[in-house]
Amino acid sequence: MRAVGKLALLSCGMLLWASQPAHAQTYQDRELVQAQILANANAVVPGKPFTVGLLLRMALGWHTYWKFPGDAGIPTEVKWQLPAGWKIGELRWPIPLKLKEPGDIEIYGYHDEVLLTQEITPPLRIAGRSVKLSAEASWLVCEKICIPGGAALQLNLPVAESNAPANTELFARFDRLLPQTLPAANSARWTRAGPNLQLTLTGSNLATGPTIDFFPLPDSKVVAGHPVVESRERGKIVFRVPIETNDAKISSLDGVIVYGGAPDRHAWFISARAREGNSVAPTAPETSAAEILRFLFLGLIGGLILNLMPCVLPVISLKIFGFVQQAGQSRRRILRSGLAFTAGIFAWFIGLAILLIVLKSAGHQITWAFQFTNPYFVLAMSAVVLVFALNLFGVFEIALPQRANSRLLGWSTREGDAGSFFQGVFATILATPCTAPYLGTALGFAFTQSNLLLLLMFVAIAAGMSAPYLLLCAEPRWLRFLPKPGPWMAHVKQLMGFFLFATLIFLLSVLGAERGLEAVVWTSCFLLALSVACWIKGTWITPLAAPRSRVIALVAILLLLGVSTFYFVGAKFGASRVSVSEASNSNGWQSFSPARLESELDQGHAVFIDFTAAWCITCKFNETTVLESDAVRAAFHQRGVVKLRADWTNADPEITKMLKQFGRPGVPLYVLYPAGRTAEPIVFPELLTKSVVLDKLESAAPHVAAQ
Amino acid sequence: MKKNLILTLLATLSATALFATGSPPVGSAAPNVSVTDSKGKTHSLSEYKGKYVVLEWFNPDCPFVKKHYGSGNMQKLQQEFTAKGVVWLTIDSSAPGTEGNLTPEQANKTVADWKAHSTAFLLDADGQAGRAYGAKNTPHMFVVNPKGKVIYEGAIDSKATPNPADIPSSTNYVKAALDESMAGKPVSTPSSRPYGCSVKYGR
Repeated sequence: MRAVGKLALLSCGMLLWASQPAHAQTYQDRELVQAQILANANAVVPGKPFTVGLLLRMALGWHTYWKFPGDAGIPTEVKWQLPAGWKIGELRWPIPLKLKEPGDIEIYGYHDEVLLTQEITPPLRIAGRSVKLSAEASWLVCEKICIPGGAALQLNLPVAESNAPANTELFARFDRLLPQTLPAANSARWTRAGPNLQLTLTGSNLATGPTIDFFPLPDSKVVAGHPVVESRERGKIVFRVPIETNDAKISSLDGVIVYGGAPDRHAWFISARAREGNSVAPTAPETSAAEILRFLFLGLIGGLILNLMPCVLPVISLKIFGFVQQAGQSRRRILRSGLAFTAGIFAWFIGLAILLIVLKSAGHQITWAFQFTNPYFVLAMSAVVLVFALNLFGVFEIALPQRANSRLLGWSTREGDAGSFFQGVFATILATPCTAPYLGTALGFAFTQSNLLLLLMFVAIAAGMSAPYLLLCAEPRWLRFLPKPGPWMAHVKQLMGFFLFATLIFLLSVLGAERGLEAVVWTSCFLLALSVACWIKGTWITPLAAPRSRVIALVAILLLLGVSTFYFVGAKFGASRVSVSEASNSNGWQSFSPARLESELDQGHAVFIDFTAAWCITCKFNETTVLESDAVRAAFHQRGVVKLRADWTNADPEITKMLKQFGRPGVPLYVLYPAGRTAEPIVFPELLTKSVVLDKLESAAPHVAAQ
Repeated sequence: MKKNLILTLLATLSATALFATGSPPVGSAAPNVSVTDSKGKTHSLSEYKGKYVVLEWFNPDCPFVKKHYGSGNMQKLQQEFTAKGVVWLTIDSSAPGTEGNLTPEQANKTVADWKAHSTAFLLDADGQAGRAYGAKNTPHMFVVNPKGKVIYEGAIDSKATPNPADIPSSTNYVKAALDESMAGKPVSTPSSRPYGCSVKYGR
């Protein structure tokens, strides 16, 4: 009965489209495929595009293939031989069926009939009254066996000044089956998790009812396994696509999401390209002005908070100290000094921004506080801090050339502008490792944006950091609230020297973490030589000393510095090796590696990663007060969460990559991967509290607790 | 530096170990299978340790198989490499009642008619070998090195068509893998997307 109906339909179709010659593929006296080229217009109007389609009608049970055939088969091809001036668009593929065969073979193809359409544009001038357009079509048709087929087909159309639609029902029917762009209400993003790609589709329009599927369109070099729905809830669906090609760089695929069942099926096209680089952090490439302003504001606040960071305190207190002395001076002088200090802050931040932009353009992975991962930078910092401290203790005075009475770091002299400027630079350098709570987010955003925006972000941070001083300078009356100058200031000055010694201990501990005990010892030797040099300077190179003793002292200083730099820094420090510290991996913490993360996730464990560095004080603070607290340790243990520590002290590139994935330019970063890859990793705030950690653990890994 | 190297190694190793589905990944040990050939002899892959082994999935009714046999391309390849001591196993995993399922007699006749030069023609009607290798297509090719590691997996060549006219202009990945590996070089294309008919497994 059905066969008769089909035959009737076939002959009916033949009558309808008799104007265009059809080709039949036969095999052992059976007709398998009828092929025909059709247009959606009854005539060609010069210059006016219209649609052409290859119609394939398959015998019952036989199928031809989609653009991506799946595990077997090959896609249908259409090659046009067009006269000069004609243009042909890309082949448009209606939603295929997913057909399964024994042996876990899945293919994508079409039963019954399919119309593969293309837009065709005629030239503005056409000679003659009619046109004959030729195309060669080739396909593979399979039932249980496969037979290749092909035909040279023609489309004959008159040329006219106007035309009317033709074959409207057929074209409309297959147009409805073409994948659409993803609705604005939905978002899709790709993540790579080991050998799998994950596609997360979100949107309130995703009900839990109708069937939904993902059909991949990998390019020819990529072998993709069978996509499966990993999880599905109201408003959110996660697909998993195994990637069998051994290439970790494959981070996304083209494909279509097929929604609903036959005959009412819809599909959305998912582009790999449009979503690339968007793997975890959902920062859209186009950012609204409001969003930019919001992040610049965050940068401003972050800069302000930098002032309170522990590593900046000595310099900042000295600056405030300077204001105390200035309280009685003229308003103009105060303003000048404040502006110089601000200029120092701006100079460092803008310089840093320019350096980052240069590195970024050179293709480097750039990160916030990256300079602290360089041991020579830390060594130089240690030397500067020590010299500054000795200066505060009064071991020596620093004189600028031609201005013997102006101290480099002095703030009380008339020509203190240069001093104020360097104070600003100095305060800012010291602030770098203490990424303030807001700064990480703001910088993470800036690093994904244009160079101009990166620069603007650093300017915003500089403005935030210098805001208090600018305000004090602009309104010196507020200085009245500070205590009056007096002999106590000399004592505070010396006290600040001890603060700097504390900072020095911190810097040496960073060096120790980076290069080991030996590096710390050699650095200390160098610092000792430096101290002696400072002492010689303070004692013998004074305005009252005899010229001969001054020369001898200068030679001694140069000799001391030269030899100690050459031997302690060049030979001994330079030879120290990057140390792999295992000491931090106690208390149930284990070293992070991407492989380790994957294997723990594969075993169904929840994983918490602490991204840290020896020089990151915020990290140390979080670790001591929160992560190592009894309550948090117990909670991790009870829920069977695997604790991995990613030590970024030496800027391990694998860890840099992970940080970038989360849109972060530096540490700290805390991430919890729920067990069994059931949900997206959870990112914690940069300043941890016990309650935040316990709450998030509760919501992410409650079921583990029951085990 | 050393730490990075170790990390990279670990990442590579785990990525390799994680491919549980599909075909055995390139670089992993070739699954050991035992299949009886058309002459009644049982072949175990493990007995060919020390030799290169080519596995070729076959279906006489498949146009893609015909492309390479009709043109003599496959026979030439078999002849060239069996002469160099390579063990070439042609495997038919078509289930009984499906296209391409052959009795031992039919298989021997096909080998004779088509002048095939493989070492043996294995009849894998239960699909045990096919499933162990995740063979999806005819032809689907695997190359195993003397250490028993898969060094190539995928299509026979670079042009996924049933048209024999495309053979001269395509790159033969199996030949390239064997030539490169025998010359002590790394295989430049260790895997590709296989093309052809589906393997006709039983339910």
